[in-house]
Amino acid sequence: MKGRASAGLVPLGGGAAEIASDGRLTVLPVAEARRTPGPSSGRALVHALFGTPLDAAVTLAVAALLVWAAVPLLRWLVLDATFVGRTREDCTGTGACWVFVRARFGQFMYGFYPVAERWRVDAAGVGLVLTTALLAWPRLPGKRLLAGAALLLGPLLGIWLLAGGGPLRPVETREWGGLMLTVFLSVYAALIALPLGILLALGRQSRLPVIRLVATVFIEFWRGVPIIAVIFLASLLLPLILPNGAGIDRLARAVIGLGLCIAAYMAEAVRGGLQAVPAGQAEAASALGLGYWRLTGLVVLPQALRIALPAITNEFIALVKNTSLVLIVSIFDLLGIAQAALADPAWVGKTWEAYAFAGAIYWLICFGLSRWSLRVERAGPRRAGG
Amino acid sequence: MSVAALLRDRKVRDVLAQVAVAAGLVALIVFFVRNASENMVKAGIASGFGFLWRDSGIEVPFQLTGYTASSSILGLLWVGIVNTLLVSVVSIVAATLLGFLIGVARLSRNPMLSGLAGAYVEFVRNIPLLFFVLIWYFGVVASLPAPRASIPLLDIAFLNNRGLTVPLPQEAAGFAYTLLVLLLGMAVQLALVALSRRRQARTGHALPLGWTALLLLLAAPLATLLWAVLGTAWDVPALRGFNYRGGFVLVPEFVALFAALSTYTAGFVAEIVRAGILAVPAGQVEAAKALGLRPGLALRLVVIPQALRVMVPPMTSQYLNVIKNSSFGAAIAYPDVVSLFMGSALNNTGQAIEIIAITLALYLSISLAVSGFMNWYNARIALVTR
Repeated sequence: MKGRASAGLVPLGGGAAEIASDGRLTVLPVAEARRTPGPSSGRALVHALFGTPLDAAVTLAVAALLVWAAVPLLRWLVLDATFVGRTREDCTGTGACWVFVRARFGQFMYGFYPVAERWRVDAAGVGLVLTTALLAWPRLPGKRLLAGAALLLGPLLGIWLLAGGGPLRPVETREWGGLMLTVFLSVYAALIALPLGILLALGRQSRLPVIRLVATVFIEFWRGVPIIAVIFLASLLLPLILPNGAGIDRLARAVIGLGLCIAAYMAEAVRGGLQAVPAGQAEAASALGLGYWRLTGLVVLPQALRIALPAITNEFIALVKNTSLVLIVSIFDLLGIAQAALADPAWVGKTWEAYAFAGAIYWLICFGLSRWSLRVERAGPRRAGG
Repeated sequence: MSVAALLRDRKVRDVLAQVAVAAGLVALIVFFVRNASENMVKAGIASGFGFLWRDSGIEVPFQLTGYTASSSILGLLWVGIVNTLLVSVVSIVAATLLGFLIGVARLSRNPMLSGLAGAYVEFVRNIPLLFFVLIWYFGVVASLPAPRASIPLLDIAFLNNRGLTVPLPQEAAGFAYTLLVLLLGMAVQLALVALSRRRQARTGHALPLGWTALLLLLAAPLATLLWAVLGTAWDVPALRGFNYRGGFVLVPEFVALFAALSTYTAGFVAEIVRAGILAVPAGQVEAAKALGLRPGLALRLVVIPQALRVMVPPMTSQYLNVIKNSSFGAAIAYPDVVSLFMGSALNNTGQAIEIIAITLALYLSISLAVSGFMNWYNARIALVTR
């Protein structure tokens, strides 16, 4: 393994492991995952569960624990819960009061976004899904051109849809909130973090000492400080260091702070991929007469990014989780809205319902992404151009 | 040589590129600093570090340093540092123990047990830490019984909605001796290891290092600890009226942050432990057996060093994460560095730049120290390949 190990990249087994900003471990390059074969038949299963007295005892203990924890949980979540109704008084059962979540569903999704304008958020969401699908389509004709246009225009179009302007009524960012804001923060911070992270990773591998130094200092700086401090820092310092009068939106500050910080983590993920590309690839491209940028852009990066994709996804998951920290500067994303909903006097004491709903959404997003990343990892890097 | 030819020269281009990057960076920094100083003059914000010696005037409900509201702001910073380290160290110990248990359980051949451990890991990894901090604070700790109906732990500590009241030793000297004995034992053990290596090289016989380790690192410190515990009088909390008197109160914020940090981090530690154990190929153990090594020796000389090679770097990084993540306490007003210094002190003095610089420098020095250790460790254990 060439290059010095850093806090983010550690040698592991045959290759290296990248540690995401939340500590999630990703093995690079794709290592053979040794999986303990599960019991294949019913008899094998019975043997695994009750083969020895110790096994039987463990099985029974775990089963008892599950029954002890799961039965009350299930009763609270479903069996004794109230689903229909309009006010707090409708919740007469001992279970969860999902009426509360239904009554506040709009806020959980859109925050305080004006009800009449919510179609714009939906439109932006559909646009995001379509763009992602477009980028994931392997053999779309004219993909390069389309993808480039989508990546350049999509984000601008999204901001215009959400913030308004021209024919659309302006909606101030302090009215944004809920799941929509969580998605917005994740996507726009990633739009800063990924390109910047790639540049930083290349900079850290550069043979030019000044560039290497700048990239290394930048990466180690942002990785070394807590993200909560970065969000504080962005919301306090950004207005201070910009020219007088150039006001900067609170939400934009949070996006920039998150983006810079995650860029440093992304850089380490990409560097893992760069190190896994055999040196012969760059040498061969150089021998063909390609200069640095074409060599990097056409030969090295496509391979490196493909290898680093699971690690990059993990950084994205960490980013989604970290967006919740904007609560600190009074921006109400999904978790913040759940927190704010607890203060509603009409719904006193619905703490668990609010958290359970917000937590379930986070879990579904992050678990889905991690499964997808696992599939990419298992499939292994495909041959470039294959 | 013409200018065009000069521009094609690789060395010249390298120098030019680096000068351009450096100049651009310097220009950007000058731009920010000039704006900041202009904005600060306009807003009438003082600069300099003189404010550190001013009276803070801030009450801190939870501190161990003898700080009062009339102490200096420097004293406040020190309270924050101690509180950050306190919750981090306690959480690291708990997360390591719990994480090891879960990691080993995940590799169990009992599908019930490994499934339960796997479910735990997937549950905590895919939900933001802030969610756990909030739910422990507003959900669990807030719904604990009032002091009169406290939950007793062995009848010496009491858990209620005002925190955890624990007994306090009157004399602390015995505990200092314990630490001293432990450090001394470590030094002697290290010396013995060196001596044993030399003796083994000369005569082929090693010293009984396992026994000396047991005596020096475990038995002697434990005996001192026992002496310290029994030798001092204890201030045991007792119910007087509506609250507990005596002992030491760990505030609800501490209890919630500790619970959230340790259960969350345990999920990540479990994955590291699993990776470490799986990273040692079965052939290694078989080969050690074939060489005639006894199982204990094979474990110590073959398995553990290889598992550690994999585990130590991500584990260190995880510990660093706990220190950084303890800043999530700011969301529930646990008085750590970020919430006391970057929050309260900054609000009172308005000296954003100085305060942010000090806070970041604190975290960076911890991170760089850990990073330095990791580089040293990686260099030491790196596989020598020919």
